[in-house]
Amino acid sequence: MATSGNNIKNAKLVLLGDVGTGKSSLVLRFVKGQFVEFQESTIGAAFFSQTLAVNDQTVKFEIWDTAGQERYHSLAPMYYRGAAAAIIVYDITNSATFTRAKKWVQELQAQGNPSTIMALAGNKADLLEARQVSAEATQTYAQENGLFFMETSAKTATNVNDIFYEIAKRLLQSQPLQNPQGMILTDRPAARSVNTTSCCS
Amino acid sequence: MDSSSALSQPNFYDFLNRMRHPASADLVRAIKSFIVSFSFHATDADNDSRKLQDFLVTMETTIKEHPLWVHASHEELDSAIEGLEKYVMTKLFNRTFASSSEDVKADLDVSEKIRLLQHFIRPDHLDVPRVLHNEASWLFAAKELQKINTFKAPREKLLCIMNCCRIINNLLLNISMSSNYVPAGADDFLPVLIYVTIKANPPQLHSNLKFIQLFRRNSKLVSEVEYYLTNLISAETFITNINASSLSMEESEFEKNMQLAKLANEETAARHGSILQLSGDDALTTRRHGKEIHVNLEGQPRYIMVKK
Repeated sequence: MATSGNNIKNAKLVLLGDVGTGKSSLVLRFVKGQFVEFQESTIGAAFFSQTLAVNDQTVKFEIWDTAGQERYHSLAPMYYRGAAAAIIVYDITNSATFTRAKKWVQELQAQGNPSTIMALAGNKADLLEARQVSAEATQTYAQENGLFFMETSAKTATNVNDIFYEIAKRLLQSQPLQNPQGMILTDRPAARSVNTTSCCS
Repeated sequence: MDSSSALSQPNFYDFLNRMRHPASADLVRAIKSFIVSFSFHATDADNDSRKLQDFLVTMETTIKEHPLWVHASHEELDSAIEGLEKYVMTKLFNRTFASSSEDVKADLDVSEKIRLLQHFIRPDHLDVPRVLHNEASWLFAAKELQKINTFKAPREKLLCIMNCCRIINNLLLNISMSSNYVPAGADDFLPVLIYVTIKANPPQLHSNLKFIQLFRRNSKLVSEVEYYLTNLISAETFITNINASSLSMEESEFEKNMQLAKLANEETAARHGSILQLSGDDALTTRRHGKEIHVNLEGQPRYIMVKK
């Protein structure tokens, strides 16, 4: 890397949401749309990384996609463990995906790390005629649950950069760069332990 | 994939050569006494892991300040620690790999489950979209997983997993570029990986995953590498817990499939058994890291096929 690690904050971000909500389209729009000189991004099939500059600081998102099918739901804790942020995606034209999104929120509140920043994304906001989930009701729900909420469109790019930018801002506010505890640099000694009951049994 | 650290070839011979240098006598002493220290205690995976991780961190500092590495670049230092990890873990392999009877049982259980699933599981059961069906790519990916016991060093074992994931990754990226298919990220990736893992039935899957998590240098189990490793761990968990509902199958149909599979495997085992008996062996043997495992044919439950 051309830039030293000192000004970069690495942040693991996990994507949760039902099949067909456009989780990966949202990320692809964000990852492909950014250009930061001398910073490499990763575009894999399910893992992505992208840096985002916020004022004079830089956040490097490491984006973990998860399988949205119901049959894989119980595997999610392995992915959101240790995440600094989560985007929970639903499709505004499909109320079942919103019900599922609320389940994710509940689960993260119960099991996840309380400091994880949660964002709720109502995707496919370009398909207004087919809307099934009202923006106002969702806004109230988000406020009640301490999430921030945006309606996004991976197709038209509406609010796509904004949602990542907002997460980056909140990450830097909650864990300023000066605080070494909040940084994950290249070395992370002793941060990992094997949980034999949940991952290896 | 950007993880150059996982891809670059650290020069193991360079490490060994430097260790032969008289100036490294102190390092060699430290390494030898570390390895010997393992024989003073009973095997305890978590404790052994902590000891190794601490040792690698300490040695990294020592090597950085060592006269032999005074002008070494970041890459050379990294290569030295990679060499150290490989050397130490190869020496400690027999003590640390599949070291508990629980591990041995978990390996057998998951492998046996896969041998049954192989008879009837189809990509549709796991939600693999039809457009992604590509037997050739899946076979290549499975072959990478099957290589995992060719290596003893945690980094090289991990590389087999990364190679498998890379092949799947490329398949998904190619299809999204060549057809009108909108890539669905992990919704596609995980089902394909699970299917490939079932096809591969990698040797000692459970112990290999545990070994990598415990003994691969922590600072290397991050980011993309950590993501793909997590995917194989979750594939193993999913496979272990597969039941009728996780395949959207009727309970009775699932049970029937499992029983038919058991019967078929028993027949094959019995056939192999008689061949082995002719050659003077009385048990089915499977290769597992140089040791031989004996599968007791009598110990398997017998099922009677019910005709409908």
